[in-house]
Amino acid sequence: MSEIKGKVLKHDQQTRMMHWVHLICFIILGLTGIAFYWDINIISNIFGGPANASLVHRWTGVLFLTGPTIYILLNFERFSRFIDTISTFTKNDIAWLKTMGGYVPFIKVEHAPPQDKYNAGQKILGGLIIIGCLLIILTGFPMWLWRYTLPAAFLSMCYNIHFWTAIIMILLVGGHFFLAAIHPKSRVEFASMMMDGYVDAEITAHHNESWFNELQKVE
Amino acid sequence: MSIFKEKEGFTRRQFLKGSAILAVTVVVTGVFAKFGVDIYKASDDYIAERVQGLYTLDESMAIRRSHNNPEIAQIYQEFLSPGGVNPVSEKAHHLLHTRYGKDIPALIEELEHHDEDHAA
Amino acid sequence: MSTVIAEGVIHVTNDCKACDHCTSICPTGAISGMLGQKHHIDPRLCVNCGQCLINCPFGAISDASSVEMVRQALNDSTKIVVVQEAPAVRVALGEEFGLAPGTNVKNKMYAALRKLGFDRVYDTEFTADLTIMEEGTELIHRVFNALGVEGFESSGPLPQFTSCCPAWIKYAEDKYPHILPHISSAKSPQQMFGPVAKTYGAMKLNVDPEDMIVVSVMPCTAKKYECDRPEMIASGFKDVDYVITTRELAEMIKADGIDFLNLADEDADKFIGLSTGAATIFGATGGVMEAALRTAYEILSEEKLDKVEFEAVRGLAPVREATVEIPVKALGTKLPVHVCVVTGLKYVDSVIEDVLAGRSTYHFIEVMNCPGGCINGGGQPIRRDTY
Repeated sequence: MSEIKGKVLKHDQQTRMMHWVHLICFIILGLTGIAFYWDINIISNIFGGPANASLVHRWTGVLFLTGPTIYILLNFERFSRFIDTISTFTKNDIAWLKTMGGYVPFIKVEHAPPQDKYNAGQKILGGLIIIGCLLIILTGFPMWLWRYTLPAAFLSMCYNIHFWTAIIMILLVGGHFFLAAIHPKSRVEFASMMMDGYVDAEITAHHNESWFNELQKVE
Repeated sequence: MSIFKEKEGFTRRQFLKGSAILAVTVVVTGVFAKFGVDIYKASDDYIAERVQGLYTLDESMAIRRSHNNPEIAQIYQEFLSPGGVNPVSEKAHHLLHTRYGKDIPALIEELEHHDEDHAA
Repeated sequence: MSTVIAEGVIHVTNDCKACDHCTSICPTGAISGMLGQKHHIDPRLCVNCGQCLINCPFGAISDASSVEMVRQALNDSTKIVVVQEAPAVRVALGEEFGLAPGTNVKNKMYAALRKLGFDRVYDTEFTADLTIMEEGTELIHRVFNALGVEGFESSGPLPQFTSCCPAWIKYAEDKYPHILPHISSAKSPQQMFGPVAKTYGAMKLNVDPEDMIVVSVMPCTAKKYECDRPEMIASGFKDVDYVITTRELAEMIKADGIDFLNLADEDADKFIGLSTGAATIFGATGGVMEAALRTAYEILSEEKLDKVEFEAVRGLAPVREATVEIPVKALGTKLPVHVCVVTGLKYVDSVIEDVLAGRSTYHFIEVMNCPGGCINGGGQPIRRDTY
């Protein structure tokens, strides 16, 4: 494979922008949420006290919803391809999951099965993030907009779902960050999403073999 | 140096999957809203049930009017207004009536000296 | 002058998650705090109704408890501990043991209280009947005074407000001092029971009232405040010593390992324990009104009612009004009695302002703080079931 030279455009500009917006929103939401759920004044004071932290949390929540929504409406084709990719599990994906793609230190893998644009782990993460965002948005807005009218039973349910979804999402995103930015095998992808969108063709051919074979050569 | 790109456009299968996710999102939102409305409507049902419990209990009671309570007649005749059933008697007024707001300090004063007045 | 108690019964604990739900529940606007900010109750504005407590999604609001003192009194063999239970307790206590709302557990409740060690088990419903006698008579006097009948000049003005709800009393004292002459001077059933038990009850039991402890089981947190009011000393002692709520009674029963659902039915003790159906419905909104109408109608008309139910005053709407024609035998005329029932302090302001401005045509107005009446009081089992 050493003869493959060149670059692969993995994430286009709008995708990268949406990812940034979502990431920044997520960090702010996580920090403010943790701050006023557990009364950590050091954090909430950064945002101007608990009441203001809550205000920031709510309006960042609006951005957290509208950012991806606008992206999906503008890039419905790309979004559909993404959904197709993450919802398709082939034999290769299942084989990959059995060995965890060689990311787990004590499972030795000679050659991981060929993967699509996203490997099986990333596919599962994508699905979980979509479900998590949906839950957290659906429970978040009633807590804000209809807090006076809704009965306590429903509000407490919303708070519980919101809280546990947030905890799971923070753990998921933490793992995502570790693999995409720190782990030596996969941190090469960091630049593609966070900066210019390109990945070395050689790496792509190795990590995402199935996908690479479908790509078209521009130059 | 070659640049590789994804093919533009989508297949029928991809379009259906993308649309399905959006549809599912709308349905989930609707189900969640319906769930919320159901809880909202049912949240006060227990009030009506408890009220009905009291009315049912009332219907099962042998005596249903306060002035027909024999122990009420007894306490008036023996204690509050000896010899008859006369509400708002002097004793009833002392024990069973009160005053509100700025009249309270005077009432406390009266009550504290009530026993002495009667002893004297 | 408002109340003397500086610290309220209800307070927000540190578990507050700042969801801001309670500020919409509070009828007096006593709760301050924004979304995201821990909330705080101003004891001067709080009427101790406990609605915020039963509606807090996190159970982060709590009420002052007298359970420890009651336990001590029960363990003290030199004290005669008597207990009274409000009407609303008997249809809600069962919920703590898995029964459906509205299930009547009156007789099991008497049995459980005896098992807990109370020396005499009486019933607030007895003094509810007494309240009807006193308050109803007072109303008749006020009506006669307004009609110009001689001999009733010392009566207060019309309309007459009920006085059973301690949250409503505190609200009126704090916000509408000019309405106070309109409120019936009769005490609430709980506060009538105290002096009656420590005078007449002590006489019947042949005990020194000093050795008597009066405990009440109430669906209400404001009753805890009411029993501590400084003027409630008509018997020469503190009339009602301790108040525990329905929830606290259920906790005591569970802590003692009493198998509540399998208790044999028992009855209340004699002399101040017999109750009527009229007293039972005190726990529901419109109940005091209906009980008063039953008695007032029969006493004024001197004839027996065929149908004791006054459907017009029933229901759960916040403000209900009705007119009942009562033939008054002493005057030889029919008197249309206009009554009004308010449940929820939020809705009482317009009624009061009509009265103060002289626009009101009502004779008798029942005010209860909690939506639905005492059965939905702040001391009742907290319901989080959805459907």
